[in-house]
Formats: sequence, C-alpha cells, structure tokens
Amino acid sequence: MKLKGLFDMKKSLIYLDEGDLKSSIDLLEVVRQIYLGGFYETYAFCINHSPDAAIGQFDYVLTVKEGRVQDCDTINLTNCLEEAHRIYDFDSILIPATYKGRMLAPRLAMRLGVGLVADVTSIAFSNGELEMVRPAFSGKLFAGVTNNGRKPVMMSVRPNVFTYSSGHFRTTRLMEFQPSSIQPAGLRLLETRNKEKAKDIRESEILVSGGGGTADHFDKLYELAEVLEGMVSASRRIVDSGIAERSIQVGQSGKTVSPRLYIALGIYGSVQHMEGLKNVENIISVNTNKNAPICSVSDIVVEGDSKEFIIKLTEKIKNNKKCINKEAEK
Amino acid sequence: MKIVCLVKFIPDVDNFSYDYEKNTLVRENVKLILNPDDACALAFALGVKTKRPETMVEIVTMAPASVIPLVEDLLRRNADRATIISDRLYAGSDTYVTSRIIGRYLESIEYDLILTGTHTLDGDTSHVPSQIAEILKLEQLSNIVKIHEECMTGKRVIVEADTEKNLSKFEMELPCILSLSHESKYKLPYIRYKDLELDVRDRISVIGNEVLSFPETDTGLKGSLTRVNRTFVKSLQKKERIVVGTDEEGIETVYRFLKSKGFI
Repeated sequence: MKLKGLFDMKKSLIYLDEGDLKSSIDLLEVVRQIYLGGFYETYAFCINHSPDAAIGQFDYVLTVKEGRVQDCDTINLTNCLEEAHRIYDFDSILIPATYKGRMLAPRLAMRLGVGLVADVTSIAFSNGELEMVRPAFSGKLFAGVTNNGRKPVMMSVRPNVFTYSSGHFRTTRLMEFQPSSIQPAGLRLLETRNKEKAKDIRESEILVSGGGGTADHFDKLYELAEVLEGMVSASRRIVDSGIAERSIQVGQSGKTVSPRLYIALGIYGSVQHMEGLKNVENIISVNTNKNAPICSVSDIVVEGDSKEFIIKLTEKIKNNKKCINKEAEK
Repeated sequence: MKIVCLVKFIPDVDNFSYDYEKNTLVRENVKLILNPDDACALAFALGVKTKRPETMVEIVTMAPASVIPLVEDLLRRNADRATIISDRLYAGSDTYVTSRIIGRYLESIEYDLILTGTHTLDGDTSHVPSQIAEILKLEQLSNIVKIHEECMTGKRVIVEADTEKNLSKFEMELPCILSLSHESKYKLPYIRYKDLELDVRDRISVIGNEVLSFPETDTGLKGSLTRVNRTFVKSLQKKERIVVGTDEEGIETVYRFLKSKGFI
C-alpha cells in the first residue's frame, strides 16, 4: 500500500561535476524552489571524487568509485545514472550545465525517455505546473518550458545563477553505489593543458569590461584591470569583431558572471549582455550616452569618453599606491 | 572514408519570426543561414576530402524544403550528396523528437564519422548531437577546437576540446560523433567560379515520414516531451545612480567609491 498526500516524499538527484562543485551544490536551491512547501529528499551523485563538499548539504550521497569510468566518458556516466534511477526512482534529476553536464544530461534524458530543458536560469509556476525558464535566440527571448509529466523531470542548470544557502547542517548518509553496467570506453583522455588565460572571468571579483565604444582602445582596459587586480571581459560586439576572445565574453552567448565590481566601458547594456550579469554588487558604467540601458542599473554613471576615464583613473590609482608605499617606507 | 555532416539552418537571429500562438519559431520561408559551428564541421570534412579525394561527404539536415537552395550551395563546394529530412509532420518537434527522427535516418546508413556543431544561435540546447549519439550508441564530444586529421585512421581519431576549464586531447574510436565549436576556425571554401551555377539537384534526396515511418503522435508538437508554455523578454532593475563626468571631480568620486568598497 502506498501512502500518498502528506507522505508524498519527492526524491531529487543532483549530479556533482567535480569540475564545478559549487555550481553543482547550488542546484539544491533549484530543488528547494521546485518543491516549495513540500517534502523532499536530496541525493548527490558523486563519482570518482571526494563527497566532502556534499556532506551536511544533502540527505544522501551516492558515491561511486570506478576506475574504468573516465572523466567525459558520458556513455558510462549515463549507464551509472540510469542504474541509480532504476533503483531509487527519482522525481527529478538536475545536472549543472557545465561542459560535461551539457553532454551528459541529453544522453541520460534520451536513455530514460524523458524531456530535458537545457540551461535553466529560473523556476516559475504556471497554473500549478512547473515551468523551467531558459534563454533562447541568442538571449533575445526567454522561454518558459514545461515537461509533459513523465518522471523524472530533467534539467541542466546554468552555473553561477542559483545560490544555495543551507539553513542548517543536514545529516548526510553516504551510500556506496557499485554500478554493474560499465562498458569499455570508446574514448581516452591523452593530456590536458591550461588554456592561455590562466583564470576564468567567472572567478574574478573585479571585471573591467569593454563594449563597442572601446573598440579603438581595448588594450587600455588591461592597464586598468592590472591596477585593480581584476580581469578584462568583453561584450559580444567586441568579440564578434575579433578584438577579444570569446572566452572573455559576458552575456547570453558568453558567460554569466557575478563579480563584486563590474566596470562597463562603452557598453550599451542590451538584454543579451545584461543576461550575463547576475547578482553583481557594484556597477560603474562609462558611456557617452548616460541613458544607455546599462546606466539605469549602475551605481555610478560616468558620462564621457572611456579612454579618458581609463587613463585618468589608472593614473590616480597608481599615484595613490606610490604615496601609500612611500608612507610605509618612512 | 564516409563522413556525415549534420547541419542546421537557422533563422537570422536578428530578424527572426515567432509564432506566439503555438510558441514555435517560424522556419518556413524566412531568411535562413547555416549555423556557424556547423559550417566549421562541414569545412573540416571538405578539407579532408581535398586531401583524400576518395572520402565521401554527405550533408544531412532536418529542415523545411525551402533550404534546398542553401543546400545546393553547400554541394557546390564539393560535398558528394545531401539528404534533407523534411515533412510537415516534423514541424514543432522538440530536441527529443528531432534527435529520434535524424537518428532513425542515420541508423539506416553507413558512416565512419559524424560531424556536427556544438552551439546553435537559436535554441542553443546542444541536445541533438548527444542524443543522436545515445541512439546510435556512439561516443560524442562537444566544443572540439581541433581534429588531428593527419593521424585519423579508419579506426580512431585524435581531437582537442575546450572543456571550459582547460584544453583536453582525446583519442576517440571511430565511428563517433564530433561536435565542433566555431573557435576551431575551420572555414568553408568559396564556391569556385565555374561551379556557381552547377546543377547539383541529382545529389539531393528529400525524405519524409513515408520513409522514416513514425506514428504521427510521435512527431511535431504532439510527440514532444517538452513544450514552450510562454515566452517573454526580461526587464531590468532600476537603481539610484550618481552621474558624473570624466573631469577631476568625477574621477575622484569613482576613486572614493572604489576605496570605500575595498577595491583599492
């Protein structure tokens, strides 16, 4: 006999991508929003890495130690997750939309015969039905997508958008999971090397960002970024015209960033660009047009030429640093 | 070697047309362009064919018949043949249905390698290559920035992928699905002047549901497992703001602001 209603406990599985544990664990916030007011249990799926980050946050952690499964071996990862689902019968499976997640989620959804919504940025409800909201058409539109009701509800979730703040420390049960469906892999990792940019703009607390208005002096941004110990990022216009690499693009078709400080130089602030700014604490915009959209969300609007601004501010910071150093030497 | 290039023609995202009643993108009779990542996939295949002329390149796309002129222009760049999967029933399909439709066609043919793009400028879910890989039981990797064509044998290939964290080099067994990124910079050649009007119609097959035989309820909006409920444009949050100039006072204001927040 199944007890329903009050004891209708939902089970949600979150895949932990060891390449971005924070974004993976933040998916607990998505689960919280989906089952608002209801009872639910959270499961973390942790393969070939330490479950420590999940302890205290999840109700259960399924740990898998399986040397035959390589990173990016999405066939075997799908096999493992499918096996777990057949045992636990999850109501929802959430995967961070990281490089690996974006390949794994669609495979798993096809394997389980369920719909998948990619790159979810917010949760909504429409007539009591769960709606997963995602950007589309290069950020010009947002679509609220519903699932046709087949379990499990699956989604991949954009990193750096949701933040989970655990109210209290949960008791986490670690459960070893031994998959039986591992097959020989058709791929082999040969080597990894760092990309030219040592850091990712998403990790930077300070971003000095250039838009179309900085096209003729984009290199100056690096000087300002250096004195602030931040990084340079760019709008789509700058990237499309070949002045900067796409890896530093902010916006819907680039990266979502949450720096503490975002200095927007010569950036108009289109919807697609603003989609890339999430929970930015402080925004300073420099623009010849003080009514550009980005200005309405800025703490300070500097109306004027961005090249002039950069040169003057950089010099002021350098000079004051010199004074401070001189004082320290005395 | 036989290479299949799976390509998508997308509406020019600056000029798209949306059916707000059905919540689908209008794809018939609008200006379409070849998705940039997919162009790289085809460019790589054509490059292989130039070096190894016995290579067969087949273009596969699921699209309304209005793409025929665009496909002809791709064939004129020396691709061998093209298969357009097209049927009124397939309009409005989500990625699940689309993958099943294309997957069924691919199951019926032979190939050594399938090339696709990674991101599309319209939907950008990146589902289809991974889901087709699942149907065909092949390995698949996205964001490929380089394929080491010189060590490509009938059995394996070496590729480099941008995994966001780093650049990784993999050895993949063939057949497999490789999804390229436009950062791979493989460029489509221009059509040779003498081929501009080349009649390539005999190299195109258009196949529909009479061939693929899906029950109607498994296709289009009916067969889709996800449904776009509504679409909207996000609004911006307004803030209290200070407006200054680039004069000394303005720079001083910014400097003090940065200092007070601990950035300097």
